[in-house]
Amino acid sequence: MKFLTTNFVKCSIKTCDATTESFPLKYTNCELIQSSQDFNPDFILSMLDRLDWSALVKVAQDLGNSALPPVKPEGEMLNDVNLLQDLHTLLLETCITEGEMTCQHCGHIYYIKNSIPNFLLPPHLA
Amino acid sequence: MSYPTPSTSHLSFDQIYEPSEDTFLILDTLESEQSYILSHFPNKLPIFLEVGTGSGVITTFTHHNILKDALFLTTDLNPHACQAVKQTSSNNGGTKFLDSTQMSLASGMRDHLIDILVFNPPYVPDEIVPDVPQSDDAYEWLDLALLGGADGMVVTNVLLDDLHRIMSKEGIVYILFCARNKPELAVKRLQSLGWYGIKVGERRTGEGLTVYRFTRCA
Repeated sequence: MKFLTTNFVKCSIKTCDATTESFPLKYTNCELIQSSQDFNPDFILSMLDRLDWSALVKVAQDLGNSALPPVKPEGEMLNDVNLLQDLHTLLLETCITEGEMTCQHCGHIYYIKNSIPNFLLPPHLA
Repeated sequence: MSYPTPSTSHLSFDQIYEPSEDTFLILDTLESEQSYILSHFPNKLPIFLEVGTGSGVITTFTHHNILKDALFLTTDLNPHACQAVKQTSSNNGGTKFLDSTQMSLASGMRDHLIDILVFNPPYVPDEIVPDVPQSDDAYEWLDLALLGGADGMVVTNVLLDDLHRIMSKEGIVYILFCARNKPELAVKRLQSLGWYGIKVGERRTGEGLTVYRFTRCA
């Protein structure tokens, strides 16, 4: 699971949809690997538009990275190749191979195994 | 048809759905829809979601032929399929902008995120929709890819009712039907939810397969 994907997934229990606590999930006991990818600054720039930045900062902190700027980079800052390279490394090259994702509303724990996050619910919650 | 179909020679089809007539109709349809899709997102890098990926052929084909600049997300209930899509993509040119998740339909996707959604559902009418197997080894994973309950529409209807939450404002949805699914009723159902549906792909023989494109009414 790429770090980027943590910005796009939430608790899959329907009654959590209306709350702000079902996204982002809280990431704990995670194992990370770096998997190198070609750097494509245009992709990162386009992706920036789609990111919920405060969620990104929260999940990065869960995983021990507190180096992200508190506010989404914009304007002149986007000309900074080093910044885009750092984002590329974080979003696309950092992968969670094992770990737990907890909904901050209902407390349900989802697991990441073999790099695949599992959002299936047990029958009584589905 | 001019783009090559991705190779799946690395997969065994004991536990995942083997690409078949329905799969190939979707590939043909996406190819004929390419200019529509590209012109729909002039200033945006689209996020593509395939629901129920199976072998991963549709996502891989789209990634490498139709939409080179996009982010690709996939879901499947079947853990074997979740791995297969990564292998298929990797064996056919790379997984750079792809991530695979184990999920029922799009239930764990953030609201209004997806720009293009493709779904080849379990569309075969049957008395039931099978339960999710409790063991990774189970052969019932294949039934799950095929059987769609009453009219073959039980699973598809759950997705249809969630589209307004899943899709971005300009989102495009492609769904495959067989004649016994009564797709014209699905078009009406979605119309009442604010979606416009049009047939964009068809095989007249066999199961009477069609692909419909849905977009929000203006």
